[in-house]
Amino acid sequence: MLVSWKWLSRYVDLTLPHDALVDRLSLSGLNHEGSQQVGDNTVIDLEVTSNRGDCLGHIGVAREIAVLTEQRLKIPTVEYQPSSQSVAQELSVDNQFIEACPRFTARVIRGVTIAPSPSWMQEALQSIGITPINNVVDVTNYVMMETGQPLHAFDRSQIKGDKLIVRAATKGEQLEAIDHRTYDLVTSDCVIADESQPLSIAGIMGGSTSEVTDSTTDLIIEVALFTPLVIRRTARRLKLHSPSSFRFERRTDPVGVDWVSRRACQLITQLAGGHIDDGILDSQPEPSPPTVVALRHDRMTKCLGREIATSQMQRILSGLGCSIAPNENAENVHQCTVPSWRHDLTREIDLIEEVARIDGYDQIPEDSPIPIIPSSKRVFDVAVSRARTVLTSAGFSEAMTPSVVTEDLDRLVSPWSEIDALQTRTAMLVGSKRLRRSLIPSLVQSRAANFASASVHANLFEIAHVYLPPVASDQSGLPTERYHLGFIAGDAFFDIKGIAETLFQRLGISGLSVQPSDINGFARGGCVTLHLDDDLIGVMGVLSRDVIASFKCPGPVTVAEVWLDAMVERAQLVPQQQPVSPFPAISRDINLVLPESVRWIQLATIIRAEGGDRLTDLAYQETYRNQKQDGDDRKRILFSMQLQSHHETLSGDDADAIVNRIVDRCESELNAVLKR
Amino acid sequence: MALADFLTRLDQLQSDAVSSLASAEDNEGVEAARIQFLGAKNGQFKTVQKLLGGIDKSDKPVAGKRLNEVKQAIQVALDAATQRVSDESTDQIDPTFDPTLPGTRPTIGHVHPITQTIDHLTEIMGRMGFEVVEGPEVEDPFHNFIALNIPEDHPARDPLDNFYLATGETSSQREDREGGRLLRSQTSTVQIRVMQERQPPIRVISLGRVYRPDAPDATHFPMFHQMEGLFVDQHVTMANLKTVLRIFANSYLGEDVRIRFRPSFFPFTEPSVEVDFWWNGAWIEFGGAGMVDPNVFEAVGYDPETVSGFAFGLGVERLCMRRHGITDIRDLYSGDLRFLQQF
Repeated sequence: MLVSWKWLSRYVDLTLPHDALVDRLSLSGLNHEGSQQVGDNTVIDLEVTSNRGDCLGHIGVAREIAVLTEQRLKIPTVEYQPSSQSVAQELSVDNQFIEACPRFTARVIRGVTIAPSPSWMQEALQSIGITPINNVVDVTNYVMMETGQPLHAFDRSQIKGDKLIVRAATKGEQLEAIDHRTYDLVTSDCVIADESQPLSIAGIMGGSTSEVTDSTTDLIIEVALFTPLVIRRTARRLKLHSPSSFRFERRTDPVGVDWVSRRACQLITQLAGGHIDDGILDSQPEPSPPTVVALRHDRMTKCLGREIATSQMQRILSGLGCSIAPNENAENVHQCTVPSWRHDLTREIDLIEEVARIDGYDQIPEDSPIPIIPSSKRVFDVAVSRARTVLTSAGFSEAMTPSVVTEDLDRLVSPWSEIDALQTRTAMLVGSKRLRRSLIPSLVQSRAANFASASVHANLFEIAHVYLPPVASDQSGLPTERYHLGFIAGDAFFDIKGIAETLFQRLGISGLSVQPSDINGFARGGCVTLHLDDDLIGVMGVLSRDVIASFKCPGPVTVAEVWLDAMVERAQLVPQQQPVSPFPAISRDINLVLPESVRWIQLATIIRAEGGDRLTDLAYQETYRNQKQDGDDRKRILFSMQLQSHHETLSGDDADAIVNRIVDRCESELNAVLKR
Repeated sequence: MALADFLTRLDQLQSDAVSSLASAEDNEGVEAARIQFLGAKNGQFKTVQKLLGGIDKSDKPVAGKRLNEVKQAIQVALDAATQRVSDESTDQIDPTFDPTLPGTRPTIGHVHPITQTIDHLTEIMGRMGFEVVEGPEVEDPFHNFIALNIPEDHPARDPLDNFYLATGETSSQREDREGGRLLRSQTSTVQIRVMQERQPPIRVISLGRVYRPDAPDATHFPMFHQMEGLFVDQHVTMANLKTVLRIFANSYLGEDVRIRFRPSFFPFTEPSVEVDFWWNGAWIEFGGAGMVDPNVFEAVGYDPETVSGFAFGLGVERLCMRRHGITDIRDLYSGDLRFLQQF
């Protein structure tokens, strides 16, 4: 909102120098955005919050200055002599769209002479960036910028019949506005029309047919209230934002409408001559009663943490336009009648804010501490911090990537859900509308982008939500949001797997089972799923060539993604000491010839079952193949076991007995042969 | 052979071996002495040992005992000599060794600067008793708007300012209307969930991603993080709010940082203020705050006559960027190692 120093001076004596004034305004709610010298005048740009439509006119800003600087606000007096002609005989108003237009008023002026405005008027408008047009249009703009209430002047001669109709636009209706562009209207738009056609897009812009021109002699002056949401939707759809729509979207003064109408008529007849018809056409002549709010003085003190004197409180509120009366039934309670232009003041707390901001927030103490209470870090945060330590120790750096991805990216890999991703209506970044169902695609994209910028081995991880779309039967329509941890590296399946194993171990989670799986996007045979109890808790593997080929990224690429929330649920974050056996351990290396089809997991299951609690360590060593000695489809697996008892020194015979049991079962169940 | 002669030979052997080993200067010298005295085939000890067969049977126990003692003494001398020469050889470093070459650094990953900032913020607020809570990022209009006192006609619901989710029957002409589910535009939604679930006193901070349709540039990104604080109890004042934020600023930015409130407007707080910190010679806007609006308390079933509270929201990116001298917000979400490695 641009305000002119000179213009403001008409309503209040500006006793502070410019810098001090704008500082005061900033600290009381009208943020100073900048000032500019225009000739011998200063123009100040103030940011007005959306609840303060009253400050979208000079009088409103002057009122703030008056109460801040303890000066008197000077509102112009409006006086004119109406003609003997009654407006009601000339015209009627039919308001068919009260939801969009709670109040519509019109006055008629006859016999005006269109001419340029006098220089004081032109200067005032030009200082705040409005181009003068002619004396009538200039007055409508001037009064809008004076009061914050938009108004419109129609050329009476261009209006057919004797009725102004406020109605919804009809389907397919069009209107050429004064910007000489034609707008397509829809039935939720409000228009002002005569019997044959729409004349203006209500509250937004007038039409070209009834525009005031040099030949105009008779005028209809419209001052109305329009509903913010209706105006906003129409303005947004038509991409037609005007000073008028801006003000209606922030509400105007429902009572002030009549004053604004008379003020405009007075100024027009002063500048352009003519006679004003007697009376007003008003669709809502009885304004709703003013709001009365009880303000308890002690309540104000309790809210602010400081006491403001009653006299100061009264001075502030009456300066802002409230009338204050003592409550007859209770001491220190004040009945405040709120001015009609302050629709934002409906409750006690609203008045407390008014008193506090004018009194000054710098007065609020900042040495009023809150009591101490016990509090602790969330288990989730402890666990995630530990997970981060594992990943960074392994050389992975943390990335953060957007939650919304393109369709191509979304379709790349989706191990957790087969339901289509939820989408935003508007793209978050170019083409990105899909709420990601997995972190893997974003990580692949990041790795590829790093490769393009010469960071060849970008080992990255990310901890973020995935959004699993709701199943059709879920009425809420809200996705399941889960924290996942994803990480990516190059040709290092067992490095990735080792990190995942370390992660589970450091979080104190046991009982993980690993199953080879075929998942779209992964190379066949190169993917496993991780399970805890019945939950799918992780996926890892080598990405398929197709996936990698869609990026300029050299393969192979290995990724893993785990469901963090489910891990945290099972985490044992406070490790318990386990006794260390005082008895010596015995090591045994075993070399088995096995069919190719046997997986380590099968072998390990047997070894652990037979080793029992005396198997303190099982270490895979290597696999090698000797076709000549062992034949086709056979491989040798070498592994080491450490055997130890907590109760006694294990003898060589004890160890051999365990080894024999393992070998026996491997021979019978896995078709194994022991190599000695 | 007489016992006395045998014992003399032994004494001589021990004395020769010990002095020979003691004077050996390097590994080769020790090895030569070892072969000379303890060699398995022609070592002097072996030679003397053979003489044991010629000792009178009654003298054999004495002779044998002494033989073992000598063997042990020579072994001790050998061990000592071996240890000594090996110590000396590691003391002598290869003269081509250049200890001024750079060290071999382990590859350790980097924690994202936003995570570091969040950890720092939660730690400071944690010391004032604020515990972390989280809520969903995809919200319904009740939590994102209605309970936060943002009515249907409020501009904050504008589709230009929110990421509404597409519904099945999306048609392009509905795009200009306010929608239903959306990516939350603020973390205040979590306040509502916490208050619905718990009774006062409440002292929480919520952290997380929020979304607004800003075109990306150096200072804007459609996704960013907020830290929102909420304190509800029986006698919470605006002075408490100012104090908590002042202590926060002093903890995070420094003892000399000052705080200022400017009036503002948020539907969910009344009074509402912008919070500025005086830092490095300028007032810098850091976020919004205020006393929880009575309508919000009513929406969650609290009695605004008996409880009061404050709330505040700070932009995590702004704090992070200021602290680390980051000039382009887009770098934070690039996943670019050249950026990430610096933190």
